Amino acid sequence: MATALSTATPARERSTSKERVVGVFRASPFTYATLIVVSAVLCVPLVFVVSIALSSDQTVNANTFTILPREFHWDNFTRVFGTDLPMQRFLLNSMIISAGAVIGQVLSSGLVGYAFARLRAPGKNALFIIVLATMMIPAQITMIPQFILFKELGWVNTYLPLIVPNFFSNAFNVFLVRQFVSRLPSEIDEAAMVDGLGFFGIYRRIMLPMLAPVLIAIGIFTLTATWGDFMGPLIYLNDESKMPLALGVQYITSTSAALQAPPWNLVMVGSILLTLPMILVYYLGQRYLYEMDISGGSAGVK
Amino acid sequence: MSRLRRREALWFYLFASPWIIGFVVFLLGPMIASVYISLTDWDSFTPPKWVGLQNYTRLLTDDPVFWKALWNTFYYAAISVPLGLVIGLWLANLLNKQVRARKVFRTLIYLPTLVPLVATAMIFKMVLAPSGPLNDVLGIFHLPGPSWLLEAVWVKPALILLSVWGAGGATVLLLAAMKGIPRELYEAAEVDGASAIRQFWSITVPQLTPIIFFNLIMGLIGAFQVFSQVYILTKGGPNNASQMMVPMLFDEAFNFYHMGYASAISWLLFAVILVFTLLAFRTARRWVFYETEVK
Repeated sequence: MATALSTATPARERSTSKERVVGVFRASPFTYATLIVVSAVLCVPLVFVVSIALSSDQTVNANTFTILPREFHWDNFTRVFGTDLPMQRFLLNSMIISAGAVIGQVLSSGLVGYAFARLRAPGKNALFIIVLATMMIPAQITMIPQFILFKELGWVNTYLPLIVPNFFSNAFNVFLVRQFVSRLPSEIDEAAMVDGLGFFGIYRRIMLPMLAPVLIAIGIFTLTATWGDFMGPLIYLNDESKMPLALGVQYITSTSAALQAPPWNLVMVGSILLTLPMILVYYLGQRYLYEMDISGGSAGVK
Repeated sequence: MSRLRRREALWFYLFASPWIIGFVVFLLGPMIASVYISLTDWDSFTPPKWVGLQNYTRLLTDDPVFWKALWNTFYYAAISVPLGLVIGLWLANLLNKQVRARKVFRTLIYLPTLVPLVATAMIFKMVLAPSGPLNDVLGIFHLPGPSWLLEAVWVKPALILLSVWGAGGATVLLLAAMKGIPRELYEAAEVDGASAIRQFWSITVPQLTPIIFFNLIMGLIGAFQVFSQVYILTKGGPNNASQMMVPMLFDEAFNFYHMGYASAISWLLFAVILVFTLLAFRTARRWVFYETEVK
């Protein structure tokens, strides 16, 4: 599926470039002008962030930032790892929480999705309808009772409330894996069963390798969601040394002394550190995401 | 049932157990608890006090802040979601032409959606500052720039601006779908003498309606749950002009410890989302086009 999709598009593009271009697909100077202006406008905030991140403390205090960088204080990027701010700790916390969440979702979603796609059992269809129905329920409904639950367990101010629920998969991921497995030919696992492999053996040895694309996509979804999550850490973590970067960056701006401006240059360095891994992950995992988004998307509504 | 089938069923429940346990512990149980809590007055430290539907009646009849938050959330969702889709569609249509360096443009348009929301909020705090770059640009055109986040009239447009910055997310999906529209349709339309605008409205848009519909539903659900940017940038202010449902819920629950009141808000939020999703599906039959459908 992955190869079929990724080879189909370039092939089509190549063939049309040789043919006569249909009128509406001809790009006019106006098209280019619009695209250049829009891209530039969208990029201004990003350039501005870099400019702030590279500015000196004096510029921060005087609030005289410019869109294009004028100063280049690259040492801001090393300063955040110094004693000034616990940025190093924030980054480490983000990594621990995200890694835990990704491992949990990948381990559980594959197993559950496979079961829903292949194994037969009484009550399965009713259960699957419940899976779909739970996607409708906003997280805010369960937020307060879950907080009470984790408080009773003594898990508040630990990473556990942010990691453990991921080991129980979620409806969207189960749905993705189920759709993916349903498209695989069932002769493979039937043959394996005839050869005497048990259900877990089939899953481990045959399904798991084939599930790689969908599990990578789930890993990326979970990583981006957890890495950027703000509300979860805000509810559960009060200790500065436990905060992930997404909360830490905001924490720095909200706790600076009353009359002093927050250290915006360092805050923006933090924002850049928060963003770069997402760009990296997107580029490495792009093709898995496209595939899942499109197939998952149209299947979800049709 | 044969022995083999029973074994298979056993394995199914074993494999599905993570989801089943998670469903009961993290969803069904909390949902039931939430219904109960919403009918009580509870600060989470002393025993809850049963008050019946009082939380709901107070929210709906006696809490001007709730109505304001509800209106603000509607305002935000009703403008940011369609606006984002229109811009996304417009950009996708431009990128679908034979553009040189399409990949570069696509990347630049998509880049803002990769920035985590907290970082986006930090960025816009600076961009929207009274003496920030946005007002500098407005100044070039001799337009008086408002102090966006500090003015009741401008704070919601400012939040919408932040959401529109990420419109590129829809562009990528729509562009992928546009590539799947058969070329023959455009060739035939051109032979028939249809203008580019006509072709866009009569071929591109109808073919894309399933994706547009999907984005609309997901966008609405997301917009009704907006939280981080409001919490970070405005805390609901000034004078509750940007207070929305989830930030209000969060304040009630975790700042004032009104667990019952906050739970009631969460159920009203669910009702609002449900009504809008059903409305979208109801009207969908009239405007969403499915190839497989025979009329």
